[in-house]
Amino acid sequence: MQQLPTDTAPMAARVQNLTKTFGAGESRVHALDDVTIGLRRGEFTAIMGPSGSGKSTLMHVMAGLDAATSGRVFIGDTEITGLSDLELTVLRRSRVGFVFQSFNLVPTLDVLGNITLPFELAGRSPSPEARRRIDALVESMGLGGRLRHRPHELSGGQQQRVAIARALATRPDLIFADEPTGNLDSRTGREVLGLLATASREHGQSIAMVTHDPVAASHADRVIFLGDGRVVADTPRQSAEAISAYMLSSEVGA
Amino acid sequence: MSAVAERPVGVSRRPRRLPRAERGLGASVLVAAISSGFGTLLIAATGFIGAWLLAAPYLAGRESVVAVVAILSALLVGVAMFVAAIVTTNTFATIVAGRTRQIALMRLIGASARSERARVARQGLVVGAVGAAIGLVGGTAAAAVLLPVARTVWGIDVDYALVQPTLAAPAVIVTLTTWAAAWAGSRRVLEVTPLQAISGATERNRSEAVGGRGRRIAAGILFLGGSLVLAAGIGLGLLSPLGVVVAFVGGIFSFTGLSLGATVIMPPLLRVTGRLFGRSAEARLAAENALRYPERSSRMAIGVVMGVTLVTMFAVASQSARQVLITSGGGEPPEELLSLMDTFAAIMMSLVAVSAVIAAVGLVNLLTLGVIQRRRELGLLRTLGFAAPQIRKMVLIEAAHLTVTSVALGLVLGVVYGWAGAQSLLGSIGVPPLFSSPTFVLPSIPWVTVAIVALATALLTGVAAVTPTRLATAVSPIDALAGD
Repeated sequence: MQQLPTDTAPMAARVQNLTKTFGAGESRVHALDDVTIGLRRGEFTAIMGPSGSGKSTLMHVMAGLDAATSGRVFIGDTEITGLSDLELTVLRRSRVGFVFQSFNLVPTLDVLGNITLPFELAGRSPSPEARRRIDALVESMGLGGRLRHRPHELSGGQQQRVAIARALATRPDLIFADEPTGNLDSRTGREVLGLLATASREHGQSIAMVTHDPVAASHADRVIFLGDGRVVADTPRQSAEAISAYMLSSEVGA
Repeated sequence: MSAVAERPVGVSRRPRRLPRAERGLGASVLVAAISSGFGTLLIAATGFIGAWLLAAPYLAGRESVVAVVAILSALLVGVAMFVAAIVTTNTFATIVAGRTRQIALMRLIGASARSERARVARQGLVVGAVGAAIGLVGGTAAAAVLLPVARTVWGIDVDYALVQPTLAAPAVIVTLTTWAAAWAGSRRVLEVTPLQAISGATERNRSEAVGGRGRRIAAGILFLGGSLVLAAGIGLGLLSPLGVVVAFVGGIFSFTGLSLGATVIMPPLLRVTGRLFGRSAEARLAAENALRYPERSSRMAIGVVMGVTLVTMFAVASQSARQVLITSGGGEPPEELLSLMDTFAAIMMSLVAVSAVIAAVGLVNLLTLGVIQRRRELGLLRTLGFAAPQIRKMVLIEAAHLTVTSVALGLVLGVVYGWAGAQSLLGSIGVPPLFSSPTFVLPSIPWVTVAIVALATALLTGVAAVTPTRLATAVSPIDALAGD
């Protein structure tokens, strides 16, 4: 294993001896089995694994969306295990960003309304600095002419760019991206991955991306493989071919 | 069971399974039962009163009195059934919207759009029949209890057989109107394509058609024409009591125009109400939600408007009539006359209140289904940082939007119609001792009734929001990430 959370590098998020089980008795399932891992600040990490490997569960728990059965979870230096629902809500609002497979914009709000939503949820309007950042994001995402459009008037790629702008706007400690290219054609998907990689490289944004897709994972600085609720491999940037080869070999070996 | 302690942390609650959209059908059964039960009870009461009046040989013109009572109850039952039909149409439109994927799957497998729509309508027929049967039994039972009470309390001694074939009439009509309403509400089934079963999770938030051009023009003509006729009736009322007939026709036409044009009138009013709640994120999202499906919201609002208008109308009519009598006679009218008027107004108000109750059921149902179908979006808001109290506030404001807007409009209309009724009926009549005529008074507003209506609005808002807020706050953030 390449990196442990005991590293001196500052962590955007980490989990220690994390276990998550669903159900009880006969039907008890170990979704995560004693996982210890850290996501370095400023890094673009891909979390891969076959269906049922626990990668989605890991993301839910790390983002404070679901509770751990045992173990500890940190976002930045804040331990989130044991926080109340309200504390978790406020933490997500200010320190975590999300990008989803199905875009998940609020259909009744226009593009600008969706981007500034995290600020409004906190009951404040964006600061002048945040406003400049939003303007720059809108510019770099190519959404300038579409601020007053509703989500259903946009293409999938445009919707996903709005979602990315929304996630970046608050400068969160960490952005979780759940199969962000799953609903996009390959060219649009590449653009979206490029935007995420740029945010990480040029603005030091920490990103954790859950994906099935070796091509998507090849854009990341680091690739973590999960299998049966455990970390089975942890590698630096790899080509899509290398990732595919690894996946195939572990499939055969299973 | 193991060394690993079950430590509930943070959001430890497992997401509760939300009920399926089909749950909304319960509301349709309920409104069908209320309206058919109300109809049955009123027919029994009308028959009973008619038999009693006809048995009183000393009463002059008793046939016409019986006819008036019969017409009044037919109107009251008609209004209740109409509101019930609006509620049912809305319920089915909402259920169909939530069932799009399932319908698309049926289409994919090979069902035709028409057969799918017929299936939904058949469900309406079953729902209507079940509700109507419950109403028939309930209404007959209530009559069986109340008629003997009336006999003893008022000493009415008359032969009247309760169980008659006519009692079943409301049940039959309600079954058919529910069927028709389900058919009308299922129009969007035709727009579902088989492709929607397999395409990805695209936002299905297409705006509903806001009525055709023809309908809008018809609504405008009916409303303006009706208002003119209403004004003419008031003018004529200064010369003859027959003015009330003209005013009545004008009132019916103008209100029909208003109902038809609901999709044009209600959205701007809802927007104005939206401003009252400020610019917080909760209020803004609630305002947008209240207008998400303009047709459904408008239809629902007009149901509540109708109930409130009628209740207010009788209160204002009674109060304004008293004012006319005072102005014409130059003093307090006789006590017996006033108490008779008050009793009549009170009875009518409680009878039209049934329509308001039906509308309220529809409102609760609309909000509940809205929350169920928005589960994913609510999960998203939770994920992005909406705390549970904020979700609760948002749903409450959304409910308040609809109630406040429709009650305010209903109060205004009720004052106008009630005053027009009293003025057109009594404007030409001279009352002792002064006999001054014609008499013209301004609307006189019964503040007690207004206060009660306002209180009922607040109560309705609260009640309407209970189930939706409970369901909405039960949505876990993970619901936003899970697939369909």
